[in-house]
Amino acid sequence: MSNLSRRDFLRFLMSLSAAGLATYLSGCKRITPTLADLPTKGAVLPTDAPGATVTPAAEVTAAESISTEGAYLAVARGGTLGPEELTRRAIAAVGGIERYVKKGADVIIKPNICNAYHGPEYASTTNPAVVAAIVALCLNAGAGRVRVMDFPFGGKAQNAYETSGIAQAVEAAGGQMELMNLLKYQKVEIPNPLALKETEVYGDILNADTVINVPIAKHHSGARLTLGMKNLMGTILNRGALHANGLHQSIVDLSTVVKPQLTVIDATRILVANGPTGGSLSDVRQMDTVIASADVVAADAYAATLFNITGSDIEYIRLADELGLGSMDLKSLNIETIDA
Amino acid sequence: MKASTIRKFRPWVQALAFIVFIVLLVAAGRVAFLPADLFFRLDPLAGLAGMVAARRFVLTMFIGGMIVLVLTLILGRIWCGWLCPLGTVLDWVPSHKSRSKEVDLDPRWRSVKYFLLGLIVLAAVFGNLSLVFLDPITLIYRTFVTALWPALIAVISGTEQALAGLPIPGLLDGIVKIDNFLRSTVLPVYQPVFGLSGLAVLLLGAVLALNAVRSRFWCRYLCPLGALLGLVSKISWLRRSTNDRCIACGRCARVCPTGTIDPKKDYASDPSECIMCLECAPACDKEAQQFKGHLAPARWQPYDPSFRQFLLSAGAAVTVVGLSKVLPQDKRSQPFLLRPPGATDPDFLSQCIRCGMCIQACPTSGLQPSLTEAGWAGIWTPVLVPRLGYCDFSCNACGQVCPTGAIPKLSLEDKRQKVIGHAYVDRNRCLPWASGRSCITCEEMCPVSDKAIQLEEVTVLSPDGQSISLQRPYVIQDRCIGCGICENNCPLSGQAAIQVFAPTDLGITQYW
Repeated sequence: MSNLSRRDFLRFLMSLSAAGLATYLSGCKRITPTLADLPTKGAVLPTDAPGATVTPAAEVTAAESISTEGAYLAVARGGTLGPEELTRRAIAAVGGIERYVKKGADVIIKPNICNAYHGPEYASTTNPAVVAAIVALCLNAGAGRVRVMDFPFGGKAQNAYETSGIAQAVEAAGGQMELMNLLKYQKVEIPNPLALKETEVYGDILNADTVINVPIAKHHSGARLTLGMKNLMGTILNRGALHANGLHQSIVDLSTVVKPQLTVIDATRILVANGPTGGSLSDVRQMDTVIASADVVAADAYAATLFNITGSDIEYIRLADELGLGSMDLKSLNIETIDA
Repeated sequence: MKASTIRKFRPWVQALAFIVFIVLLVAAGRVAFLPADLFFRLDPLAGLAGMVAARRFVLTMFIGGMIVLVLTLILGRIWCGWLCPLGTVLDWVPSHKSRSKEVDLDPRWRSVKYFLLGLIVLAAVFGNLSLVFLDPITLIYRTFVTALWPALIAVISGTEQALAGLPIPGLLDGIVKIDNFLRSTVLPVYQPVFGLSGLAVLLLGAVLALNAVRSRFWCRYLCPLGALLGLVSKISWLRRSTNDRCIACGRCARVCPTGTIDPKKDYASDPSECIMCLECAPACDKEAQQFKGHLAPARWQPYDPSFRQFLLSAGAAVTVVGLSKVLPQDKRSQPFLLRPPGATDPDFLSQCIRCGMCIQACPTSGLQPSLTEAGWAGIWTPVLVPRLGYCDFSCNACGQVCPTGAIPKLSLEDKRQKVIGHAYVDRNRCLPWASGRSCITCEEMCPVSDKAIQLEEVTVLSPDGQSISLQRPYVIQDRCIGCGICENNCPLSGQAAIQVFAPTDLGITQYW
């Protein structure tokens, strides 16, 4: 390299140091706010100590706006209406979307888009018509923007959005699909955890004005069923840790920091075996049911009955009820059933 | 147009070809309508060796290879001087510039490339492609895929993370917008990692460093593709020649990057060594050289291949083929030799040209270049390493991009049926089996229906003596396709407690 000119050498040196600097900077720790730093708009902290008396989640989430109008939990069912109308009626019966979405609100809808494998008819991802109906309701209520997102464990998010049919439906309804970006996760400490001390949660979901949780009801070997609370696992990065440290306890811990204002469970089709991935139509049951409640525990407890079990059969529902995150005692709740 | 005018276009054509090379590399497996394997189609050495070894005709490679061969027949080695991405990079890095009339090493070094060409082609006749990794297109492609491109991704991600940490309002959202755009178009979601990145860089680095000995050292003395095109150029039509206006000033010889202009032979050049770069054209102000058509074959040079050298190549090829059979995997199947879906050894070794396209297309970076799994004879062939990346149930990209069909083009439906391997639970380490802790991650992940991983419900005594109920995973082998998403997601650190083994159910693969 005897003929390497000074200019060449300097150029080489410059590019080397630029690369080195970038690598060094990447080593710097990102400033990760702890729970105390976070705004509490979307993430309402549990104020009660574990074991306190049951507080209906409706009061916890948005006490001033949720009045006595509307049922505590609503169920719309029947094959004649179609998933959009079932969704609209269920939400109307729990007080209407305006109760949860203020004018100009930043809304995030979190469906279950856990893999990129199958279309919606396989019931491993939320029915796109249900998601689209909620997007339209939010926009009609004057939401500033409505984003829809999930982080699948199988396949690329982009593919999963398309394969599930949710991307097309949401965009047609005027909402935005958003890729959950690794840069936006924030470390959150969980106060008084059962198992999970801290985890990284998608920052926008913590900060949004309204989060609407839209799971599909389906089979899951470890959790028995994946419903509203289990669907929140899509908002965090490290899911392996949840499995290895007590899945049910961890789901409940997560529910204490990620608190959607409204849960709408899609049970238009349910998956009764081989969940959460599915892949066989013989495992799918047509139920034509949509459940809505501000109380995710109640919604989950009701959805369990569609599988001929009760909320108390599922450990994470029982634990959440005991902790006072919501109520699984369906008999004591004001439930409106719309049959069509 | 004068040769010195045409020469001015060369840097631009080279840069354009290089950009196309990089764009196609990034697009592999992402943009279906682009011919991502264009440069391999155009590579007549990869085409010839690949088709001969596999005993299979590949139309795309035949057409592409013929285009370059015909182009060479007419215009000489313009592939080397104008289009080859490795040649372009060699022109870009600093190189030895001759000050004396000693422009060449001993010319007999030039025959090394013919030796390598003979070795690669003759080994291919015996079905062996082990040395095709010396093909220049595969060499540079592989280095970009497994080292330089991932390194660039790491720098981009690192810069983004560093900027995102700065307390400037709105900055994070801006970076996320850019990052989401990049990740949904050209970048993978996660950082790709490759075990052989260092080796690839060393090889390319050595090729570049040899420029310091002589400019285009690789092209002069080593490149087997250059050798093939050089042989064709013996009868190419367009050639450089000198006339009696030459005053022997020696300028042309000094600028010639391949050193083929020989002051001792009246500044004549060998068309086989001339890469048609036309750098000599503006160096001469006496109009003593011209580029025009010739029909008679060019003179055979002392360093050109001889029958004796052919025998040497043949002997070396037989040795290579023989050595490639002195490997454990010819006796016993290797437990972690997991091939891309639809590819099976030993045929795969005779079909894969070690280009690395499948590795670039794999969205999880589960496909890795092999170092030990297939023995040295299979170095740089792709293997699935599930702990690093699983075979995505919704992806069939590797077969779609493979230029030789070594990985079959499968529909997604067919690919989902292809058995890559079988998963086995390590009951000595698995949380519920070994530690009495509940975990069902592998079962949850299993994408096939009905699930290949099932859970047995048991009541056992925990390590501290309490009676607990547990779900313990086991695999139904008939259903398992070996995609490895279970192994990938097993929450144990280090080695997973469920591992995919090559489909080696029973037996010895070779009896003699």
